[in-house]
Amino acid sequence: MHELSLMAQVFEIIKETKDKYCLEKITRVELKVGELTCVEKSALEFAFSAFAASNNLVDSKLKIDLVKARAKCANCNLAFRVKWEDRVCPNCNSYCQQLLSGEELYLNKIEGE
Amino acid sequence: MEVEVRENLLAQNDRMAQKNKELLSKNNVFAIDLVGSPGCGKTSLLEEILKNLGQEFNLAVIEGDLYTTKDADRIEGYGSDIIQINTQGACHLEALSIHQVLQELDLKKLDCLIIENVGNLVCPASFALGTELKITVLSVPEGNDKPLKYPALFQQSAAVVINKLDLLGHSNFSLAEVKKDLNSLQPKLKLFPISCTSKQGLEEFYNYLRTRIKNYD
Repeated sequence: MHELSLMAQVFEIIKETKDKYCLEKITRVELKVGELTCVEKSALEFAFSAFAASNNLVDSKLKIDLVKARAKCANCNLAFRVKWEDRVCPNCNSYCQQLLSGEELYLNKIEGE
Repeated sequence: MEVEVRENLLAQNDRMAQKNKELLSKNNVFAIDLVGSPGCGKTSLLEEILKNLGQEFNLAVIEGDLYTTKDADRIEGYGSDIIQINTQGACHLEALSIHQVLQELDLKKLDCLIIENVGNLVCPASFALGTELKITVLSVPEGNDKPLKYPALFQQSAAVVINKLDLLGHSNFSLAEVKKDLNSLQPKLKLFPISCTSKQGLEEFYNYLRTRIKNYD
């Protein structure tokens, strides 16, 4: 349940952005969340609504983009979809450490006016 | 108006973890993040480490707990410095709280710092502390399905200690299964089946720690 700490960080960035660009309201916040991060979408949404209410930003919408996990095989260069428990290249059977995506956890865009 | 932020949500913690890492490395302190579920035997293992390696090396411990000092009380009296951090309900330690207490330790005289994280197999995976390695403790009664159910932590670990081996005959825990699953998550992972009660397997684990601490510069 560290989604609350993550959301506290999101709202710090929102506040900085709001001040920097002199925005009166925030309409949309877009997060990218990789499927290997162990972060719960519904817990993020719940945390967002709680923070939005206490920060006077109830009109803002949260969009969460879930990013699929992919890896590139160092041996045969094949790019393939990985799962937590399976990172073996389907082509040459070598174990793949290098991920192309799936560990994203960042605030991508903020929209406001 | 659309603002491209692209800011990592863990960046603040990661930056602080990097600071910790630099501070520890400057003082040649080998640091371990000890993680695992509540009741898996992290504190029992710590007691054994302090008892058996405490003469050979200068050790210190940071104890992470929600509210109590029960663990710190248990490991007091072995001659090593113990610092308690109460997270006040938070489910993991963060790099900032480690940074604050590092100032209280005499880092120059230390060889190894062990941080016992809050009992949890999920959240400590996301929050780097700046340690050189993570060691996860898994115990027989928890079941051998845990690595695949909580893969992030196991994937980041350099070693997994399987504790309470003396209970193997009383459960359906399969060492072969757990080895296979851990290997699929991380082929280089070191595995140490032990029992803090019967002491079996502990010597091999101490030797691993000895080598890692001595080879750290």
